[in-house]
Amino acid sequence: MGALSGLPGGPYGFTLPWVLWLLPLALLPLRLKVSRRTGLPSLDAAPADGLSRAIGLGLTLAGIIGLAGLILALAGPYRGGERVTRIGIGAQVSMLIDRSGSMNETFAGRQPSGEEESKAAASRRILRDFVGNRAHDQFAVTAFSTAPMLVVPMTDRQDAVRAAIAAIDRPGLDYTNVARGLGMGLSQFGAERPGVSRVLLLVSDGAAVIDPRIQGQLRAAFAKLRPNLYWLFLRTKGSPSIQDKPVGEDTPQAAPERHLDLFFKSLGVPYRVFEAEGAEAVAYAVQQIEALERDPIPYTEVRLRKDLSALAYALAALGLLVLTLGKLAEADFSLRPVSASPARETPAGVDARPRASDRRAA
Amino acid sequence: MTAEGGGEIVYLPRWRPGGSRVGVHRGRDAGGTGTFRDQVPFLRLPDARRIDLRASLHDPFEGLQVRRFEARTALECWVILDLSASMRFRGAGDRMRLAGQLCEGLAGAATRIGDAFGLMGCDERLREDLFLPATRRRAAALAVAGRVAEVPAEGRGAGGVLEAARLLAGRPKLVFLVSDFRWPDTLIEEAFRALALHDVVPVLLADSAEAEGLPAWGLVELDDLEGAGRRLVFLRPSLRRRWIEREAERVAALRRRAAPYARSPFRLADRFDADALSRHIMTT
Repeated sequence: MGALSGLPGGPYGFTLPWVLWLLPLALLPLRLKVSRRTGLPSLDAAPADGLSRAIGLGLTLAGIIGLAGLILALAGPYRGGERVTRIGIGAQVSMLIDRSGSMNETFAGRQPSGEEESKAAASRRILRDFVGNRAHDQFAVTAFSTAPMLVVPMTDRQDAVRAAIAAIDRPGLDYTNVARGLGMGLSQFGAERPGVSRVLLLVSDGAAVIDPRIQGQLRAAFAKLRPNLYWLFLRTKGSPSIQDKPVGEDTPQAAPERHLDLFFKSLGVPYRVFEAEGAEAVAYAVQQIEALERDPIPYTEVRLRKDLSALAYALAALGLLVLTLGKLAEADFSLRPVSASPARETPAGVDARPRASDRRAA
Repeated sequence: MTAEGGGEIVYLPRWRPGGSRVGVHRGRDAGGTGTFRDQVPFLRLPDARRIDLRASLHDPFEGLQVRRFEARTALECWVILDLSASMRFRGAGDRMRLAGQLCEGLAGAATRIGDAFGLMGCDERLREDLFLPATRRRAAALAVAGRVAEVPAEGRGAGGVLEAARLLAGRPKLVFLVSDFRWPDTLIEEAFRALALHDVVPVLLADSAEAEGLPAWGLVELDDLEGAGRRLVFLRPSLRRRWIEREAERVAALRRRAAPYARSPFRLADRFDADALSRHIMTT
């Protein structure tokens, strides 16, 4: 396969490049004419005419285009597939979703019954809309409970992301291990890409103590990637708020949410926390996040290989159409046999042919 | 002079041919029997058989008058035929066939009345394969004239006409210059000048397909028979009008050019019509 790169619009190529060796044939119309030739004693008899010359030139050109188009079409031209990088509005969003058992409960802390929906179901509904809203966002979904689970790596295939989000209301398990979840959520951002705004969206209904050793690693990762951090805290009614100081000793074990918040604040990255006590509050929080994250992001689009032979055939058809029209427009300048009719008393020079006179009369 | 219906060409020389060969044309010289010409004194023509008694008695000087009669003389009728490639044209009629019919007609007409018929074909030079010295033998003349339609016409020009004109020395002759006159202007001029001594009838071979018979609309790829190339022409009423005007202008120019040296050209188009030719020769 021959490929011509460096042309604007991507690499072009031909399926059968050797057919292009026939291209010189396209110059044949310069030598050969399709029209029937009519002998004339002298070309001087025909007056010079610009329109005729233009038509002659046009027909020659049409012949060249027709032949060249056919040969090009036979060679099978195509524009190769490629990845195009464009700039859109959006961000890389790594969603870190709590899958602990408590997410299965409603905001009231009960098992959902009737029309009530669990925290997981509500966040699923709202996050799904979030994903669909903007075309050029990239998402990664990580779930965590005791151990983090990579659900979808960073991708712009929003169908996959939506499918992953649709799965987060499966009954959750066990405890909340935020530290490892954060680690995996951060790792989803992948290699450093300049000019990309990153968002780490933590959706959880509780917190846990982060081991001081792991805290150091997380700090390093946050410092390196510098994501905007949003914590969507789905608070069960009656449970302590982030700001609430515990009654007793203020230790991470006693108030893990408050200390996680403090930890996040100490990271030095843009950070906001949304405390949601119901589905509406969650939706509001998501809207806030959406509004905040409006930065340009380069995204790649895969352009498929495109067959251009239809174009070449169309070109050939155009040329052939013009030639056919030229052929149809050919005059009946046919060489008629000498009429065998006896000489009549018409003065020489007066046209005695009925056909021609009919045509003139018409 | 005419025979076999109306298909015979009749011609009349513009001058009184000299010479002693007996024919049918009114000669320059007197002699023999026939049409009365004039009276001369007996001493000028001592022919006692033709003493005109009535004129002699009228003569106040009492001289004897003798009647003179016009001699009937024969002349030579020549055809100089253009064999350039443009003569190959076949439109409404086949040009070479027309020329052949004309030559046959002239050969028949000339030899029937005792005139000699000669034929010279020429393209760039004199063509040896179509040459007939003036002959009064009907069979020989007709045989060569009959070959005209089959002779290949491939020449690129008609310069041989001047050569042919040089060969036609001597007494004035009746010369039919048969061509389509697709010649350079200088050649036309030179040819007429070279033939000025003779009684020249230019026969312009034309074809309605070249002019009046052109289709009003359409594309035509024209191919010059003399190898001047090809050209695509988009015929339309305006161009057709210009074309026909151009042709008419060409014929008019030929007529102007011929006028000082020859009779006005006879336009032979599509069909050979002996009567039309006869009328033309008798009236010009």
